[in-house]
Amino acid sequence: MSERPIYLDYQATTPTDPRVLEAMLPWFTERFGNPHSVHHLYGREATEAVEAGRARLAALIGAEPREMVFTSGATESNNLAIKGAARFLKGRKGHIVTLASEHKCVLEACRRMEREGFRLDILAPRPDGLVDLARLAEAIEEDTALVSIMAVNNEIGVIQPLAEIGALCRARGVLFHCDAAQAAGKVPLDVNAQAIDLLSISGHKMYGPKGIGALYVRRRPRVRLEPQIDGGGQERGHRSGTLPTPLCVGLGEAARIALESMDEEAARLDRFNRRFRALLAERVEGVTINGDLDRRFPGNLNVSIAGLDAEALIAALPELALSTGSACTSASVEPSYVLRAMGLPDSAARGSLRIGFGRPTSEEEVERAAALIADAVERLRAERPAAAE
Amino acid sequence: MPKLVFIEKNGNRKEVDAPLGLSVMEIAHRFDVDIEGACEGSLACSTCHVIVEPSWFARLEEPSEDEEDMLDLAFGLTATSRLGCQIIMTEALDGLTVTLPAETHNLLGD
Repeated sequence: MSERPIYLDYQATTPTDPRVLEAMLPWFTERFGNPHSVHHLYGREATEAVEAGRARLAALIGAEPREMVFTSGATESNNLAIKGAARFLKGRKGHIVTLASEHKCVLEACRRMEREGFRLDILAPRPDGLVDLARLAEAIEEDTALVSIMAVNNEIGVIQPLAEIGALCRARGVLFHCDAAQAAGKVPLDVNAQAIDLLSISGHKMYGPKGIGALYVRRRPRVRLEPQIDGGGQERGHRSGTLPTPLCVGLGEAARIALESMDEEAARLDRFNRRFRALLAERVEGVTINGDLDRRFPGNLNVSIAGLDAEALIAALPELALSTGSACTSASVEPSYVLRAMGLPDSAARGSLRIGFGRPTSEEEVERAAALIADAVERLRAERPAAAE
Repeated sequence: MPKLVFIEKNGNRKEVDAPLGLSVMEIAHRFDVDIEGACEGSLACSTCHVIVEPSWFARLEEPSEDEEDMLDLAFGLTATSRLGCQIIMTEALDGLTVTLPAETHNLLGD
């Protein structure tokens, strides 16, 4: 097969938008100055470019530019938010609340704080993948430092009720951290309307470059973090290290494009999502969509196909690039912990496929993917008819 | 006259008579308490950083944006940190207790 498979794994990563790459290129070569050099043109023009990128990124989430801290990606942002806030508040606060369906790096950062003496509550999501707000309200205690709940889930695409979570946290005097790696640039975010204190962004999930992300850190009322990287005190002391000018420019341009095209893109992805579901349902019986059907990012679908193992299905589909779940945990063959946390039995969790549509996806690709999956399911069921029961 | 209590770096507790209208930094200087105050209260450094006793912290007026910005740069910042130059003594603050941090971060140089 000479043709490359159809890419359907946009939750794992996205291609850098050509406009983003274009904006980045001069900052690698002729404009290579250190943005922290203040004594000459090379440094000053780099500073200006970085700050323009920061402003564009801030505009995407309704923040002020100086509330944005550039990092290496969402994993670092999540670590800085959770460990930084907890370590700063240690001694006054001693408790953290999160959801079992969060990204591994959030869960592991929370567990690290548990080893450092914090009490940790990991709440199960409801069967539809969303947080149970009443249970969250009960879980918050007098000395809770932080609630960490993501915006869009990386496996099942559901959108958590951020404004409700934010209002609850604000009323109880608890910091609200939101991992928005899958949401930024895809669904509307507003840190003030949603009362978010800390918000993590990833460049490569929103058609920006890999190797950069950001953390929003609220200034009013001020949120303070213990830095996790010491050095020259860049990024207002939150994150030392020379800023990568081309990546900062690229992330800013990715944010500008996302803000401009978000509505149109969401409408197109929603059309693809419905079309794909309809085509699959026409030919395949026993398809279940995991996660709430309405409160979701339309560029994601997580489907379980009755009686079929997802690994076998993927192996039978060399024409498609898709995965069973999070790329970050794909090395393990365990069924998805996200789906199990929602109460799916192991058999269904094992049979689930994550299908992602993105900016470059075409209608033809959607139709071809649905047909190829249906063909593969029919083939596998014919081989093992009992398994289809 | 209201009392102001400093917990010094060696743990020593020093209670002084605090003149109304003076800042915690100015009072410290008057009584030879070791607070630096490199910029002399012009909100250009964080060397008069003090840690307010938690029970007193909420009773102080909210810090300004400029003070928060300077606190961002303070060494060993805590959740009840303030700049001594920005806390002005009043009758209501009789008994105010502040701890001097072990180190300060003087970007202006020694």
